[in-house]
Amino acid sequence: MMIRKDTLLYKLTQLHWFLLLTIIAMAIFGALVLFSAGSSAHDLETGLLKIDARYAIDHITRFAIMLGVALFVALLPLRLWASLAYPGYAIGVVLLFGVEVAGNIVNGSQRWLTIGPLTLQPSELMKIAVPLAVARFYHQMFASGRNALWIHVFAFVMVVIPVVFVLRQPDLGTALMILGTGCAVIFFAGISLRLVVAILVLVAAMAPVVYFFGLHDYQRERIHTMWDPNADPLGAGYQLQQGMIAIGSGGLAGKGFMEGAQKELEYIPEQHTDFIFTIVAEEFGFAGSMVLLVAWAIAILQGMQIAGSSRSSFGALAASGFVSTLLLYVGINIGMVIGLLPVVGIPLPLISYGGTAIVTVMIGFGLLMAVHLNRANDMTLRGLL
Amino acid sequence: MSRDWKNLFPSRRMIFLTGGGVVFLGLTARLAELQLFRQQEFETKAREVRIKLEPAPPHRGTIYDRNGRELASSKRNFYVTLRPEVASDARDKQTRQAEIGDVIERIGRLLRLSDAKKRTLLQDALTPPAHRDVLVADDLTWEEFAQVNVMAPELNGISAEVGELRSYPLREAFYHTIGYVQKANEADITRMVDSELAAVGEAPDSPEGKKRAATVRRLYKHPAMRVGKQGIEAYGEMALKGEPGNERLLQNATGRVIDRLPSEDLAGKPGADVVLSIDAELQNFAIQRFAANEATRAGSAVMIDVATGEVICMMSTPAPDPNLFVSGIPSGPYKALREAEENPLYHKAYDGVYPPGSTFKIAVAAAALESGKVDPEQSVYCSGKAWWYNRFYNCWKTEGHGTVNLHRGLQVSCDCYFYDVAAKIGIEDIASVAKRLGLGHRYELGITGGKSGVVPNDEWKRTKTKHGRWMAGDTISAGIGQGYVLATPFELAVMVARVAGGPSTPDPRLIVSGLQVPDPTVMPMGEFKPGVLEAVRAGMFAVTSEGGGTAIRSGELDPEGKLPAPYTNARMAGKSGTAQVISLDKLRDSRGKAISNDKLPWRLRDHALFVAYAPTDKPRYAVAVVVEHGVSGSSTGAPIARDLLAHALRTDPGAKKPFVPRARDVAAAETGRQPT
Repeated sequence: MMIRKDTLLYKLTQLHWFLLLTIIAMAIFGALVLFSAGSSAHDLETGLLKIDARYAIDHITRFAIMLGVALFVALLPLRLWASLAYPGYAIGVVLLFGVEVAGNIVNGSQRWLTIGPLTLQPSELMKIAVPLAVARFYHQMFASGRNALWIHVFAFVMVVIPVVFVLRQPDLGTALMILGTGCAVIFFAGISLRLVVAILVLVAAMAPVVYFFGLHDYQRERIHTMWDPNADPLGAGYQLQQGMIAIGSGGLAGKGFMEGAQKELEYIPEQHTDFIFTIVAEEFGFAGSMVLLVAWAIAILQGMQIAGSSRSSFGALAASGFVSTLLLYVGINIGMVIGLLPVVGIPLPLISYGGTAIVTVMIGFGLLMAVHLNRANDMTLRGLL
Repeated sequence: MSRDWKNLFPSRRMIFLTGGGVVFLGLTARLAELQLFRQQEFETKAREVRIKLEPAPPHRGTIYDRNGRELASSKRNFYVTLRPEVASDARDKQTRQAEIGDVIERIGRLLRLSDAKKRTLLQDALTPPAHRDVLVADDLTWEEFAQVNVMAPELNGISAEVGELRSYPLREAFYHTIGYVQKANEADITRMVDSELAAVGEAPDSPEGKKRAATVRRLYKHPAMRVGKQGIEAYGEMALKGEPGNERLLQNATGRVIDRLPSEDLAGKPGADVVLSIDAELQNFAIQRFAANEATRAGSAVMIDVATGEVICMMSTPAPDPNLFVSGIPSGPYKALREAEENPLYHKAYDGVYPPGSTFKIAVAAAALESGKVDPEQSVYCSGKAWWYNRFYNCWKTEGHGTVNLHRGLQVSCDCYFYDVAAKIGIEDIASVAKRLGLGHRYELGITGGKSGVVPNDEWKRTKTKHGRWMAGDTISAGIGQGYVLATPFELAVMVARVAGGPSTPDPRLIVSGLQVPDPTVMPMGEFKPGVLEAVRAGMFAVTSEGGGTAIRSGELDPEGKLPAPYTNARMAGKSGTAQVISLDKLRDSRGKAISNDKLPWRLRDHALFVAYAPTDKPRYAVAVVVEHGVSGSSTGAPIARDLLAHALRTDPGAKKPFVPRARDVAAAETGRQPT
């Protein structure tokens, strides 16, 4: 049967199904782990099976909704998203400014903005808006043949403006992610490697200065804790140390589904959000951790393959930017849980409980699939906003 | 041109993916390090030094008598616990059983535990979860405790602890009233979770409710925690137990507590102290008085201060020592207690319902006058039996009393007179006055249990029995406190107090402070017609003080005139009663002749009742005495009532203000709601 090429059905058949299935598989795995986070094979109090599927149900519901949103994003023309890149960026910056002057303070950080019934976290939106806007900018510059150093400088300024706002909230983790994503786009846009190396050396040289003068006390403490988790077993290092005990005691094959012991003792705060990987590692062991890492590696490789296949610079750069976001998410989250990085509030997408990260990541995946569907379109400038 | 960028992209992608690869390799390497090469280390650490938040049982409120004497207090308790997961971490069940069994065997030898105790311990220790403490033994002596401490390092999972244990210094004297505490079982825990949630008004399925429920469960599973099982201990559990605190325990790899980290923010609040209106000395005296004679070995007595309504004595004898129950009573002795014919576990004063017999004539006499249907001077002729509604009703005195009016009817307790009176006024008037005098009501005293007697009438018989409407003959039996009429000793004491004190008599109460015990359903006495109560009191005075009275030998309370002013040469007024245990028909031998009580086995003999008040001119104390199988109210019950009243007048406990405990920051404010 032939399907006409201009129908929605045809578009559906052309979706990047391999990537889509990888995402779905990971989200289901996430629901399984969250189910275990609330449940226990031998409850501490009663010794009996205890089941609490609340986290898992919430998680899978959110995922289902966001999967619909992702497909919606994927099936709309990529031109539309290119057109919305600048307005989206502008709105994001305005909202960040709004947070600065009128945001709600949650846990000591000013990240949320309430507009009528909506509560927004504009910094999260910027994880998508920044790479889109920068990609859109490069797309325009390349189309008009401009390739000088100043366009990279200009792109960097576009990245730094939101980063400064987010840093002031203060939300170091998100700021670093936006900075990393934006810089990744600049890197893919062809900035001279010599310059990149020079900047990296400079950053390394500046690191001690930033450590001593640019960080809050609690941030310094977290970095210190990473080197010496025993320094304060009841304070900052506690979570980390207990998390590592959970991971390490998991061994090769893990203790088994719902058999994790550390979680029952409630030693690990935020275990169902940022520290969810401790449950994966404790219950499914090294083997389970590897399966999850490989799944993420597949998603990232697929993403880069999509970026490479795009004929438009907007598509390629936006896709690369988003894949960098993913790598940052996974690298920073697992890196901090296993004690390679200081503790920052970055969840593990598709696995951690919580609404914001899944929104960002699924919109990103939608864009990635939109780039894939529109890979043959080199997208002339005419008609773009 | 964009071609420049296009050409660069594959190499940039290569660099990026290489970077990503390094990140993933780094993560993999670290995971391999933690999970593969250092697994042993972390597995040990998982059971190593850890800090645990454990609920700490709060100090339980003390229960005092009215003079501040401790009736239930907390003493220092040395106890030993076993943590199964530390005694054996073997996964294999056989090995676990052997290893834990070995630990129990060794600690059992040290503490001389019985084989049965060791078996239940092993069973308990093998039931999951393994990461909780099982109580091995408590109430240890200092020597035993020190010995366990010395041995502990060799006994995996055993730790010696110091806590508090409930103790009842007056032993059996307050078993029924105060009750006892014990380790909570599942049913207790469920009950406490429910009442705790009800008290704070949280839904059991809300997150806060679930959290609170888990806290309550953990508290009651603590080896040192006990729950009130009966009496005031159970009724006042919520107020007495206090607010649990928490302690941070630092444990090492074997689960032994290395240190308790100081945590003032986690301290609990002690429970409320409770003061009873009972005078412990009088209570003890009553128990000894009953125990002094084999014939009075089982029974109960209640004394109420007519002026305040305070219950100053409420005893039931015999009783077991509540201290036996605190650490769990072995099944053998418990079975013996349950099966003893003296019913030691039964609160005879509060739960025992008896036919009130002739003591009920007080209510019938009051009803006769209050109804106006009977002239107190009108006489009835007693020939020893009377013909009512096609059958004969006997008077207790087979040869008869001759002509009897109300005064003499009470004095000699003539049944024929009261048959006649009852028939004249009818059951509804009797029931109404009996209720106004306090019968037929379960008084809320702050103790678990408690029964209401029966004040029957037509409606009661039709709704509560299968015998249909009220018959005229039923009224005849009710007239002498037989038939359907039932009362507890406590109700009888209230009746006498109300007759003696009149309408202004306060409602009875047992708890002076520490617990709120509202009883809004008490029937008010209401005003009686002038002269009614006076006539009844005169009849009761005649019982003990006028020639021919049934208890004429027991009237004097102060024969030598040694008591101080208001009580000098005091006398008591009272009324005797006898309650049959088996019906009259069975009391005949093979030739149809009545068998006298002393030829019957003890458990079939009649109960002896006596109610009284003193002094007669200005009543202060009212008492009800029931001697189970004591045969005769006037010869067995009256002397006890006399001795109790004489003791009360001598020490005059009602004259002193009840004890006020030292104010403390207690968990349960006066508003603390009680489970019922």
